[in-house]
Amino acid sequence: MYDAPKLGANVEQKELKIAARGVQVFYGETHAIKDVDIDIQAKTVTAFIGPSGCGKSTFLRCLNRMNDTIDICRVEGDITLDGEDIYDKRVDPVQLRAKVGMVFQKPNPFPKSIYDNVAYGPRIHGLSRNKAELDEIVEKALRRGAIWNEVKDRLHEPGTGLSGGQQQRLCIARAVATEPEVLLMDEPCSALDPIATAQVEELIDELRTRYSVVIVTHSMQQAARVSQRTAFFHLGNLVEYDDTATIFTNPRDERTESYITGRIG
Amino acid sequence: MTDATSGSAMGKPKSSLLVQDDRTKRRNAAEARFRGYGVVAITIAMLALVGLLSSILYNGSSAFRQTFITLDVYLDPAKLDKDGSGDLAKIAKVTTFGYAPLIKKSFEVEFEKQGIGVEGMKPKDAAKMISKEGPAELRRFVLANPDQIGETLSFEFLASGRIDGYYKGRVTMESAEIDKNVSPEQLQLADQMKDAGVLETKWNWGFLTRADASENRPEAAGLGVAILGSFYMMMVVLCLSLPIGVAASIYLEEFAPKNWITDVIEVNISNLAAVPSIVFGILGLAIFINFAGLPQSAPIVGGLVLTLMTLPTIIIATRASLKAVPPSIRDAALGVGASKMQSVFHHVLPLAAPGILTGTIIGLAQALGETAPLLLIGMVAFVREFPSAPPEGFFDPAAALPVQVYNWTQRADPAFVERASGAIIVLLVFLLFMNAVAIILRRRFERRW
Repeated sequence: MYDAPKLGANVEQKELKIAARGVQVFYGETHAIKDVDIDIQAKTVTAFIGPSGCGKSTFLRCLNRMNDTIDICRVEGDITLDGEDIYDKRVDPVQLRAKVGMVFQKPNPFPKSIYDNVAYGPRIHGLSRNKAELDEIVEKALRRGAIWNEVKDRLHEPGTGLSGGQQQRLCIARAVATEPEVLLMDEPCSALDPIATAQVEELIDELRTRYSVVIVTHSMQQAARVSQRTAFFHLGNLVEYDDTATIFTNPRDERTESYITGRIG
Repeated sequence: MTDATSGSAMGKPKSSLLVQDDRTKRRNAAEARFRGYGVVAITIAMLALVGLLSSILYNGSSAFRQTFITLDVYLDPAKLDKDGSGDLAKIAKVTTFGYAPLIKKSFEVEFEKQGIGVEGMKPKDAAKMISKEGPAELRRFVLANPDQIGETLSFEFLASGRIDGYYKGRVTMESAEIDKNVSPEQLQLADQMKDAGVLETKWNWGFLTRADASENRPEAAGLGVAILGSFYMMMVVLCLSLPIGVAASIYLEEFAPKNWITDVIEVNISNLAAVPSIVFGILGLAIFINFAGLPQSAPIVGGLVLTLMTLPTIIIATRASLKAVPPSIRDAALGVGASKMQSVFHHVLPLAAPGILTGTIIGLAQALGETAPLLLIGMVAFVREFPSAPPEGFFDPAAALPVQVYNWTQRADPAFVERASGAIIVLLVFLLFMNAVAIILRRRFERRW
């Protein structure tokens, strides 16, 4: 099934969710991602770490084809989700993004009510037949986003009126409301204070029971805290990909070691 | 240690914060000068605006007041319906000229009753104090109500332009002596009639509701046809330019590939916004009238030409407000699996709406005040008939507010000066109203967080 050498063969075998083979990304003339192979497992938190500009966010955006919105961006290689090539001509990126949800660096709730924020995805995907069902979906999503208790009394107030940490959890709730299989998070805590960060991290750990979570982070502590698998990117290359514990205690590549000990990056 | 202290002393002499050094003084002076220029510029602009508005108000406000003469007229069957048959066709044979004696007669009756009159003045001369429109109005009334013949009814007639001018300070006893349209005796009589309550200067709805009138009856000229024509044109412009402009902007901004073709289109839209409006008039004449065969002087043609003119404004404003919507909102929508179109229509467009509305209303206001292209498509014609209700009305001849102003300033009778200024006031009120609507709409939509 896989012709590339399997990394981290010593971990407990889990179901494969996303497989990338020979992925190259170009921004015009710039070669941003160079020949990346990676297997992302189901029900696992996978962290992408690396210095700024190393391509980890770019690679993350390849996984739900958000890069399609950038005209000059070109992606080569194969990325499969459950064995289906997501860059196949027949794939509609809209359908893909319903399966692979995304949370962005800056909290970006719609300028609508909290309820409408969460209900938007289910509405456009037709996940509910009536108001009661939609209410249920919204409540479930907000509970999973660990924000239900804070907003249940003001569902019809604007989402933009929440604090930064609450907004980010609202965005996570919005992303999980469409029942995605994979959740991509692009530095979800970079705009948050330590307390909000802790809440979001706790949430990520809970989400692991249902989804495959891929998180890009600048904080190595965060990667160590929340992830089971860690990939280290450097200058567009995937340098090392292994169990988080292995990466942080016994890295094989010296670039990884320099980065996690703070000598580069 | 010694090196360090002597070094700092040499490099920079010790200065006090309480004394401004030369550099700071120069900098502060430059800032003060700049502020001064700003205040002067704004003061000049405000003075110009106040001057403009006050001169227009001074000249134009009198157009909203008009002198009326109220008379009891006996609708004499002997003159209007000679054989007493009541046949409308026969009554219609009596021309406007035939109604003049009725008015003359009622002057005689009125003078006897009130005991007024000026030595050596005939009722014929007194009847000239009534607008030439008077007999025509009387005839229209009789033709509409033939059963009233034989009755004595009270009518309110427009006073002639000169009599009206006397009460607005335009005509004096001295000027009347050398004016063949009015005599000092008539003015004296007018004063007596005013004391008797027959003649009265009051608010003039007719200025807003009447059609234009010819050169020698300025007192009857009104803006009705022009207001209706302008309104029809604005309807056409709004219905065409808003959807086309917004759709074009959304396509260009959100969907179109960024290549040299779209670059050329973009440059040309900006160029179109700067094309002199009269060029659009020539275009409209060639395409809509000569080629497509649409009628001249029609609001539909005016509306189409003004649409062409307004489109660039709307497109530029809409694109600017679409650009101003943060990309994170688009990402958020795409991230939950919305299609491009859903993300635009559900999220981007509502956020851009205030800007789009403001741009549209500013474009409409521009179109409302536009004169040059309308001259070329024949809206300058003298139109006395009101256009009918839409949609047929769009194809009937009509005037437009700014063209009416232009038209009236061409006329010789000084009474048209106040009419033209009055029309400018009406135009400005409409523009202010539209701008106010733009501001209110923007506020309203912006409150949606």
